[in-house]
Amino acid sequence: MAISRYEDMNEMEKDILKEIGSIGGGNAATALSSLLSAKVNMLVPRVEILEFNEALNKLGDPEEVVAAVMVEMTGEVEGIMLFTAPGEFTDEVVFRMLGKAKVSLMELDEIDISVLTEIGNIVISSYINALSALTGVAVELSVPQLAVNMLGGIMSLPMAMMGQHSDRIMMVTGEFDIDGKALKSGMLLLPDVKSLNILMKKLGVDS
Amino acid sequence: MAKKISVGIADMKIARQEGELITYALGSCIGVAFYDPMIKLGALLHIMLPEKNMTDSNVFKYADSGVRETLRKLQAFGATKGRLVCKIAGGAKMFEMKGPGGLGNIGERNAQNVKRVLMAEGLRVSSEDTGANYARTMSLDVATGKVYIRSAGRPERML
Repeated sequence: MAISRYEDMNEMEKDILKEIGSIGGGNAATALSSLLSAKVNMLVPRVEILEFNEALNKLGDPEEVVAAVMVEMTGEVEGIMLFTAPGEFTDEVVFRMLGKAKVSLMELDEIDISVLTEIGNIVISSYINALSALTGVAVELSVPQLAVNMLGGIMSLPMAMMGQHSDRIMMVTGEFDIDGKALKSGMLLLPDVKSLNILMKKLGVDS
Repeated sequence: MAKKISVGIADMKIARQEGELITYALGSCIGVAFYDPMIKLGALLHIMLPEKNMTDSNVFKYADSGVRETLRKLQAFGATKGRLVCKIAGGAKMFEMKGPGGLGNIGERNAQNVKRVLMAEGLRVSSEDTGANYARTMSLDVATGKVYIRSAGRPERML
């Protein structure tokens, strides 16, 4: 049976996404590690399929201001990838890359913005590389975009995208540990339902 | 301090006489506040998409079905359309998107459709704070009918 909604996925299909998350996250950690010259580890990713309000509560306070980098996928697999990072994470990155002390997320300058966009881009690309290496699909990515705003508002984009089909959203979430400091961040891998079926087929899962 | 009633995504709540209806961080979604000042009856609706598709049973997710269902409930509680004051907020464009699916302007389409449906029901939007690229938290004080908009890095605004 083809998957028509996220909640239709079985355990095996979820495991596969988790594996993609694992490999992607590992690649991302390696890339971040050389960029930040720090020891970066990726904690075990989780694949969660949650109702919209549940998902928001799980990610944090909807009014919390976060930095988010979004990339659109086109080609054989369509959808979006969204990397969200709260202030703690961005502070650490800006400090390590630019040697600057704490900056408020609402007062980022151009250099801060381009550094954070690039970090998001690296993390996202690592996931995409894992995805295409495992499945052999060609994915084209749009130019990454950074938005700094309330988490709830940022999340309205993936939710609106999924909303036509479902009341739920799929998240592959991961946490990075930079030099022993666990820093929360969110990675949302959101292929649309059609693409999800293509991916599963390529991976030889015929449910 | 008045009681806070939180309205989720694709959700609607009604309160009478007192209390604060609040919905957090509207991005491309739209918050619609309805208020009947004579009987101090208020409702806050949080919609996500412009048009309902046939198979979905969640009426409050969509502008068209959400507005109609809210009106039906308000009228059951004694409101009349002639007295209702409507205010809307949200409909932001959080990211610039060029790809397929028309997601880039979903906020704008939401706002247009909410207004269109309200107009078809004989209601007018008395004030709004929509568009731009930032999220808004919207609250309706049911004792006074005042609507407040809060957003990151901007002063609070009253609608």
